[in-house]
Amino acid sequence: SSTAAADIDSKLVTVFHDKDNFNVKHPLQNKWTLWFTKPSSGKGDNWNDLLKEVITFNSVEEFWGIYNNIAPVSELALKSDYHLFKEGVRPEWEDQQNKHGGKWSYSFKEKRNIDINDIWLHTMLAAIGETLEEDNDGEVMGVVVNVRKAFFRVGVWTRTIGKSIPNRGDGDVAGGKGRPAEKGKQILENIGKRFKEILKLPATEYVEFSGHTDAAHSGSTRAKAKFTV
Amino acid sequence: LNLNTKAVEPPQPSAALQSLKTARLLRPEQLLSLSYPAGINGMSSPNPALNAAVSKKGTSFKYDPNFLLQFKTVFTEQPSMEFHQQVKTLIGDNDGGRSASAR
Repeated sequence: SSTAAADIDSKLVTVFHDKDNFNVKHPLQNKWTLWFTKPSSGKGDNWNDLLKEVITFNSVEEFWGIYNNIAPVSELALKSDYHLFKEGVRPEWEDQQNKHGGKWSYSFKEKRNIDINDIWLHTMLAAIGETLEEDNDGEVMGVVVNVRKAFFRVGVWTRTIGKSIPNRGDGDVAGGKGRPAEKGKQILENIGKRFKEILKLPATEYVEFSGHTDAAHSGSTRAKAKFTV
Repeated sequence: LNLNTKAVEPPQPSAALQSLKTARLLRPEQLLSLSYPAGINGMSSPNPALNAAVSKKGTSFKYDPNFLLQFKTVFTEQPSMEFHQQVKTLIGDNDGGRSASAR
């Protein structure tokens, strides 16, 4: 096949044309890193030792290679998490790019009644396909699923809580001084609405937004929820 | 005397994995002009909701989930030769996960 270099230049062969011999792949808007939190073995574990980077990827094809070869959420041990974050952002609120932000989240308490694998897959597809937000919103940092004894929790992390933040300039960007607070809030609410659709929640259920700092300083995120949709 | 040394050769990556490593990322204008095989909803699908999309500026890629799902059974190779071993080290095998969560 090395003799076909000239032909390859002129003909675009996708994985759909030939799954073993393709020469182009579908780019993602961003590079994404998959992280895994190992369950703590008991006392004395440093959380940073439990948070492990799995792989970084930038194409649709590679995403499926990963998805098809890694344990589904339903087979993870209790206290495990998957995090899918933009490259360069650690999936913890202390990260410089997260510390002024927050998250939309929902806990599924009837674990047996839901298909968590399908929900997590669609959450990841919305992230990598860039359908959680509009082109210039700039809010989405990553998505996460937590496996716990009493629930599965799925979340979308955002850069801001709808206000301007340090070092983001004067422009109409996430956290920028040029983005009115009303617009910032509207963008977050739209992300929450799309997330709720992905989770296929009935109108009687709500997804909640909370700032990371509130969550870290109060025992309960529920008490500090800023928005619900 | 056995001159067959095949057993000690390292395993070779599959054709699909080699393609993954060498394929180029489509440029926006290429994505727009691609024609997919029959049955695949690409840019020219009659149902725009199923399409891959490139923004008007031609600088950003958006993909509808239904477009992305079409790849699920098409690219199934592990993304590197070491991936299974790496994942086993990080996450453990699935049996460990099951027994840990079983009550």
